[in-house]
Amino acid sequence: MKHLIIIAAFLVSFISHSQTNYEKGMQKAFQLWGSNQSTEASNLFERIAGAEPDNWLPPYYAAQINITSSFGERDKEKLAQQLGKAQDLINDATALSKNNPEIMVLQALLHTAWVAYDGATYGATLSPKVAQLYAKASQIDPNNPRVVFCKAEWDMGSARYFGQDTSPFCKDIERAIELFANFKPETPFHPNWGAERAEQVLNTCKK
Amino acid sequence: MKILTASLFLLFGLYIHAQSTINGLVLDEKNRPVMGANIYLEGTYDGGSTAEDGTFSFSTLETGTKSLVVSFLSFETFTMAGDVTYMKDLTIKLKEDVNALDAVVLSAGTFSAGDNSKVNVLKPLDVVTTASALGDFVGALQTLPGTTTVAEDGRLFVRGGDAEETQIFIDGIRVFSPYTPTTNNIPSRGRYSPFLFDGITFSTGGYSAEYGQALSSVLLLNTIDEPDQEKTDIGIMSVGGTLGNTQKWEKSSVSVNASYINLAPYIALFPDRNDWIKPYEMASGETVFRKKTNSGLIKLYAAFDATNFELIQEDINFSEGLRYKLNNKNLYVNGSYSGVLNDTWSVFGGGSYTRASNKQGIMERNINSVDNAFHAKVKFKNRVSNRFKIYTGAEFFSTDFEESYGDETINNVNYGYKDNLAAAFAEADIFISKNLAFKLGLRGEYSTVFKDFTFAPRVSFAYKLSKASQLSMAYGNFYQNPSSNILKFTQDVKSQNTSHYILNYQYNADRKLFRAEAYYKKYNDLVKYSGYFPSFQSVFNNDGYGYAKGIDLFWRDNSSFKNFEYWLSYSFLDTERDYQNYPTAAQPNFVNTHNLSVVGKYWIDKWRSQVGFAYSWASGRTYTNPNKAGFLNETAKPFNSLSLNWAYLISPQKILYASVNNALGFKNVNGYQYSNTPDMNGDFNRRALRPAADQFFFIGFFWTISDDKKSNQLDNL
Repeated sequence: MKHLIIIAAFLVSFISHSQTNYEKGMQKAFQLWGSNQSTEASNLFERIAGAEPDNWLPPYYAAQINITSSFGERDKEKLAQQLGKAQDLINDATALSKNNPEIMVLQALLHTAWVAYDGATYGATLSPKVAQLYAKASQIDPNNPRVVFCKAEWDMGSARYFGQDTSPFCKDIERAIELFANFKPETPFHPNWGAERAEQVLNTCKK
Repeated sequence: MKILTASLFLLFGLYIHAQSTINGLVLDEKNRPVMGANIYLEGTYDGGSTAEDGTFSFSTLETGTKSLVVSFLSFETFTMAGDVTYMKDLTIKLKEDVNALDAVVLSAGTFSAGDNSKVNVLKPLDVVTTASALGDFVGALQTLPGTTTVAEDGRLFVRGGDAEETQIFIDGIRVFSPYTPTTNNIPSRGRYSPFLFDGITFSTGGYSAEYGQALSSVLLLNTIDEPDQEKTDIGIMSVGGTLGNTQKWEKSSVSVNASYINLAPYIALFPDRNDWIKPYEMASGETVFRKKTNSGLIKLYAAFDATNFELIQEDINFSEGLRYKLNNKNLYVNGSYSGVLNDTWSVFGGGSYTRASNKQGIMERNINSVDNAFHAKVKFKNRVSNRFKIYTGAEFFSTDFEESYGDETINNVNYGYKDNLAAAFAEADIFISKNLAFKLGLRGEYSTVFKDFTFAPRVSFAYKLSKASQLSMAYGNFYQNPSSNILKFTQDVKSQNTSHYILNYQYNADRKLFRAEAYYKKYNDLVKYSGYFPSFQSVFNNDGYGYAKGIDLFWRDNSSFKNFEYWLSYSFLDTERDYQNYPTAAQPNFVNTHNLSVVGKYWIDKWRSQVGFAYSWASGRTYTNPNKAGFLNETAKPFNSLSLNWAYLISPQKILYASVNNALGFKNVNGYQYSNTPDMNGDFNRRALRPAADQFFFIGFFWTISDDKKSNQLDNL
């Protein structure tokens, strides 16, 4: 029995040694994020960003965590700090990977966070920016499920605001779900989120 | 077996020995633990986050000298280099980031609008959705405290100063003719369309050494750096039409905008108190070009407009009325470059050229003038550290004014003046802590007309009393050359001068803002002249003086009521001056002692509409009654006006907009005109100066065509 444990321990350590620091770090960060330790996850992504200065993914995820956790924040000071930091990280990611539709989606979400906080103040100035980002992203990669989904969700929001029919956008959501099903990220660490949320939004369509 | 296990443990133990542990405690300046800070060895994967009690601990295989970095929101990033084996039981104190949003703001005397400033009095959209403003940025600013209500003029009168004491700048460069041309009793408007700007700073006193040639106030307008998207804007209004287009490329963009205003149809429907021979007509075009370079931004702005009208106005001294005719052409070109030189230095350079040509006919008199003005400026900024910044720069103004006068007896006389003015300024921003900051500045000017140097020190200071409130003070000395109305007749005068003393309290929390400001202003060396108007016969001197003191209160609340925002402004002003042709010191006729503004906006979701109101009340202004002894010896009745507006979003890109000024039809009197000669009983007859029209109606339809089908001209209204 003892032998078995030792051998197993050996194997585990062997396997983990065969992984690069990058893979270990990214896995650990996703694990922290998954267990609701988002500050720790964001900090780790930032550290990886510092150690891997040519990779756009770590700053992308650090930005995403800051944006996602800012939705629902009512303290303007905190919101501005968090989104300011996210903007810096997006700028870093954009400098490494230009014309990247995934980063454009994230930038659009950052603007959306401001609009969600105070539509009357930020809606008029940021809405055109969001629309422009989605237009450009879908020009570059019309079949990216996140581009299709986030654009459709944004369009639904504005249609609802203007009391217009939202059903045309439900078709886009359905299409996004199909695209999600067939989407193969470039590496296990490339963006692959959104399918679950798309299902939720589709459910509201059916009601 | 035991040996195997032992050797394994040994190996494991060795492995442990090659690692070193880095641990310690992170505190803020008040020794409170900082939780969630990111702490790591630079360029490695090794690091951790601080726990609730501020402690951290992580192990690393790194050896030798490394940089340990600690970063956290709203604190300055801490870096320390050393051998990793010594990084044990560290106590690290993070310094607050003085650029954080909750840091103290040097704000005495200043109102800001826009997304970028830390404390916003106005939102960008307020300029165009304030009911009384009619799309004029000047109109929106007149709802702020510190301004006085001079309804028949339309320009900005700040804290007892006349309209010429306020200077307007676009992208840091002076605008020489910021208002549309007009005549007596017809209010003028800001010449430039508000949608070109995304930031407005309105200083009612104590402003930075970067700005000069303004005794009372500066208004700084910043053009948009980068438009959001390509689009075409169409506007059809009851008074004319507008057409705009924006094109965007990877690094550059162009916006053009044309508008045509003709009041003939409106006046045919709603005749006013003037007898229009040629109703007001104005054609204008504006264009902005922006280009991003590797480390900077180039902007070019050009605007041209042509205005003409002719009318007969009632006048007590002319039974057939006073005939006035105007033909004005104005060209304004503004170019600037701002860029980063290296880590700590950045540079701004720009210039503007204005050519204003004015042809006036007053009864049988013809006055034609051409004003050529030029302004160039260069400014350097050195960010020595996060807490110490230095600004320094120089600028040059050149004015060439020519006028000719002719009537039945005088055959065109030509006169004018040339003035070159050079100025240099230096200023430092010093943050002692997040709670205490200073701004120290000095400005020097040399004018070729007067061959005279002036030195103007400026100081301001801000101290944060609590999380939401702060106290500020400002002092400054300000010089301004006499206006062209004086200089065209004499150059044997000198610069006029004011000193400002300002004390400001500000409370800002939960989308509510309160500010109270007390000030004292002293005027010296104001120009005086003999005669009714300045002329070649006048005797000029700089013996004028005056003072202004008062209290300005402002309250804005965006959060107490759902979908409803409002603000209240109240100003108390006590001022007297002896200048121009005044026989004695008196309260000028452009001053209200009490001024109150209430502005509210309500968004009705169900109707997709915004409805708004603006109410203003101002105590009566002085006038001279020649039937009694004294000068500016009586006060007219108070001014009252309630304006309403309604913006309806027909669809995301189509807006219907309607507004009415003075909805309740208050009968306002701006003052009285007395006849030049007494009647048979020895009394001087008078005529009330009423606005040309008591009310004004406006209806417009605005349509935006863009790829995203979503943007609209809400911010153009």
